[in-house]
Amino acid sequence: MVARVRDLLQPGPAPSKADVVIVGAGITGLALARELAGRGIRDVAIIERRYPGSGATGRNVARIRAMQLTDELTRVAIACQAKYDRMADDLRFNVLFYRLGYAWVLYQQAEVERMRPIVEMHHALGVHSRVLSPEDTLRRLPVLRGGEPVAGAVLHDDAIVHHDAVVWAHLEHLAASGVRLVAGATVTGIERGDDGVTGVQTTAGAISTRLVVNATDGWSSELNQLAGVRTPNRPFRREVLVTAPLRRSVDAAITFYQPVEGWFNQTLRGEIVMGVVDPAELAGVDQQSSFEFLRRTAAVMTRKAPALAGVTVIRQWAGMYDVSPDHLPLVGPTRQIEGWWQANGWSGRGMLLAPYLAELLAARIATGIAHPYLAQFDPDRFDETSSAADTSGDYYARYKQETTESRPASQPAPEPEPAQPPYNPDHPRP
Amino acid sequence: MTASRIGQRAPQREVEIEFDGARIRAVEGEPVAASLLVAGRGILSRSFRFHRPRGLMCSTGQCGWCECEVDGVPSVRTCRLLARDGLAVRSEHALPSVGRDILGLLDWGSRLAPPTFYHHRFLRPRFLRKAYLDVLRWFGGRGHLLASRTAWKPGGELRRERVDVVVIGAGTSGLAAAAGARRAGAKVMVLEADVPPFWNPPAYGAASPGAGDHDGMDIRPGTTTLGWYGGVVGVVDRHGTFEVEAGAVVVATGTYERVPLVGGADRPGVLSARLVARLIERHAILPGRRAILVGEAESLAGVGALLARAGASVAGPYATASLLAVNGRRRVSGVRLRDGAGTRVEPADIVVFSDRAPSVELLLQAGAATAGDAAGPSALVDGAGRTSVPGVFAVGGAVGPAGRQQDAMAAGTEAAAYAAASQGGDAPAWDGCAPMRRTRFAGTPDRRHRDGTGCSVPGTPHGQSPPPGAIVCFCEDVRVREVVTEVHAGYGDPELLKRRTGALTGPCQGKYCLAALACTAASAAPDGGPGAQPDAGAWLPPTGRPPVRPVRLGDLAGAHPLAVADEA
Repeated sequence: MVARVRDLLQPGPAPSKADVVIVGAGITGLALARELAGRGIRDVAIIERRYPGSGATGRNVARIRAMQLTDELTRVAIACQAKYDRMADDLRFNVLFYRLGYAWVLYQQAEVERMRPIVEMHHALGVHSRVLSPEDTLRRLPVLRGGEPVAGAVLHDDAIVHHDAVVWAHLEHLAASGVRLVAGATVTGIERGDDGVTGVQTTAGAISTRLVVNATDGWSSELNQLAGVRTPNRPFRREVLVTAPLRRSVDAAITFYQPVEGWFNQTLRGEIVMGVVDPAELAGVDQQSSFEFLRRTAAVMTRKAPALAGVTVIRQWAGMYDVSPDHLPLVGPTRQIEGWWQANGWSGRGMLLAPYLAELLAARIATGIAHPYLAQFDPDRFDETSSAADTSGDYYARYKQETTESRPASQPAPEPEPAQPPYNPDHPRP
Repeated sequence: MTASRIGQRAPQREVEIEFDGARIRAVEGEPVAASLLVAGRGILSRSFRFHRPRGLMCSTGQCGWCECEVDGVPSVRTCRLLARDGLAVRSEHALPSVGRDILGLLDWGSRLAPPTFYHHRFLRPRFLRKAYLDVLRWFGGRGHLLASRTAWKPGGELRRERVDVVVIGAGTSGLAAAAGARRAGAKVMVLEADVPPFWNPPAYGAASPGAGDHDGMDIRPGTTTLGWYGGVVGVVDRHGTFEVEAGAVVVATGTYERVPLVGGADRPGVLSARLVARLIERHAILPGRRAILVGEAESLAGVGALLARAGASVAGPYATASLLAVNGRRRVSGVRLRDGAGTRVEPADIVVFSDRAPSVELLLQAGAATAGDAAGPSALVDGAGRTSVPGVFAVGGAVGPAGRQQDAMAAGTEAAAYAAASQGGDAPAWDGCAPMRRTRFAGTPDRRHRDGTGCSVPGTPHGQSPPPGAIVCFCEDVRVREVVTEVHAGYGDPELLKRRTGALTGPCQGKYCLAALACTAASAAPDGGPGAQPDAGAWLPPTGRPPVRPVRLGDLAGAHPLAVADEA
């Protein structure tokens, strides 16, 4: 098996034809290739510009959370978490799925009140989240003691996985499947005929195909433009820092939204990963780390959890979110060109959603029948004026919108007002 | 290793510190780790994965082998902490103590535990999988969260300073470059992470400058450069963080001493030449009576003379290539050397090494091209010290062996000229070294630097295979054989190798493993898979990530009770 991974990663020319070409060897591309192979579609080529998992897949902290803010997404997320729970058995590779616990920590009474109907919705779906009192929050999460007074928390038994392990598990599995990985190659053009896509040109040669899947997430707008397809996705940078390993000290993955969105959790190895989001982050592909991030994160975290002041930061990095106007991914064929499929716009949820939605997408490619869950991810659901607003990096903006309108949980989420013209890759970040 | 005090250095005040509950006598103002060494506490920590004993090794605050909890603050590097009365020092990550850690048995089983072994081993039975991970989690980690809740002062506004030329590192080359820039009329700032007690001792290298204003140069000791952030340098000092914006940057970060790539090289008693010179000259401490020197004769001459004068018996210097292993259990007992066609064992208390690896973190962050030889990747520069990145210059040790012949002052003058030209708003012409292609996977690196375009560092093939049991990465206990396995499995690309083995990802962030990893990966490459490079010179290091040095969250947020100057 191991020697076959080596063959899979071996550089070489692109095949001259393939049934399906997947662009991007992140979690989306790898999971989709695996699902297609499982359905007997093995003539698949994955094009990857750098190395497998080099984009957001290798840069995230892989929180696998079933509790979501909306009914529709929670239903999907439950299935996604179950997919990860099975993954070690399915792929015979321990992806270190671990139920660490997950807590939204709330700092205002109003937040607590907004969360109550959401917790009821969770219970209706079988997700046993619970609202903690301020005292119970500090008992459960002693790291927050001495910090800003908390108003409560919503806790659920959610999980983390090891993102690199997920990539390797898929690589080992794919190595035996006949799928070809063309790494170190860039897509330079899309060939179109009268009835849709006919091929892909890459720096490793041209591939003739009738079906291309854009699984490039942060770079999806760029690739869509190459195909002449318009999508409203916009890439935003997210930054992370990691500390030297500590003994087990933080027993849940923590997220808060006040005064800005921030999060931290401890990995199995003991390191604490954390980040505080810049609500004014500009759109555009940018994977450079910033000093401002270090300072902002340190200032906010030491206020929330003073005990963290003593930990040493050893590394920081950045990755891309591909944010769609409604923060839901684009999964499925687009009507703009026959044979051009989207699996991008994950809006920061790719690690959670991609493996399960890849299963549904593969089924749709193989059978032509779309699972009802895929309806909300239709790539053509946006109109001409839709765009990811500049606050799209701010998850709380959406949370406020959903919860303050006391909208019944079963209705679809409203789309935010368009605040900016659609992202234009010709004019990236200033 | 039997460290002893040699004579008295006047005037000194005795203080008492605590180590794992025992009272230890120390001299005020000397590094805590040195006091512990004299008190017979040579083992200060246990390694992360296999609980191997570790002690004082580098004295530059970079290796992390001397990390202990001090007054409730986790992972304090005790080689940089000055002793004062009543300090409470506790070892971390050992059961029951670092001296006798029963988890050290893990080291015996390390052959059975290749990197990522738990991905394939802990699958069945399914209901125990969570328990396996709980155990794994219990083994992870080192320090405890801050026990003492000393309040951090909130950080103020970000200070931003603007100069023409910023020089990073106040060693010989850095100061020469600063002088060159100053002579050309530039406003110069020199950032130096160390404070005076930690400057290089004379027997080791350069004399150190005083702080303050020197011929119009603004020298800032105790100022740690954290990273290169797209044209701005991020810095932390005892007052908090600030940014330096400069027309040109001169990287003069020098070298790390490179631990020999042989089995047992992490045993307490394997000491860097810089540390030995510091102990004897500054603190009148002789770390051991029988010393063996390993490395280049030239760089070991000063330390050898110091040791002899202090009454130690000195053997060597032996070439690093002739060292086969360091023997001993909890501390060094001797070395195994290549002797003609055979080998011989020579007893010793301490092994002193001096080979250097360029310190290139900042240059990697800036995206500067590197080349290298068996000493590891170094900055690629032209005759004027220009790297491949406009506005970024490199001088001295960071350039590798060629840095010795370099005219650092002229590079400083060039930097000043560049800064002056960039004042006008237009980017001045830059004909520095041709950049290498940064896309590594499956690609052959652009070898333009090899055809003699004025760039200085040739790649040297490295034919020799390191011993399989030698440790490449000390933070994560990654051995040569594990790296070789991963290269052969197809993960030879530096980025994948880093993720698979964990090398470069520990608290030292590659300072003590980058060179060894390059060599090991290269030696495995003839049979290697995709991305593997057959010589260490062509091996491109993974992307550089800030911060250059570990920094406390509290320091970034404000001022720390163990201020930067205390734990420099």
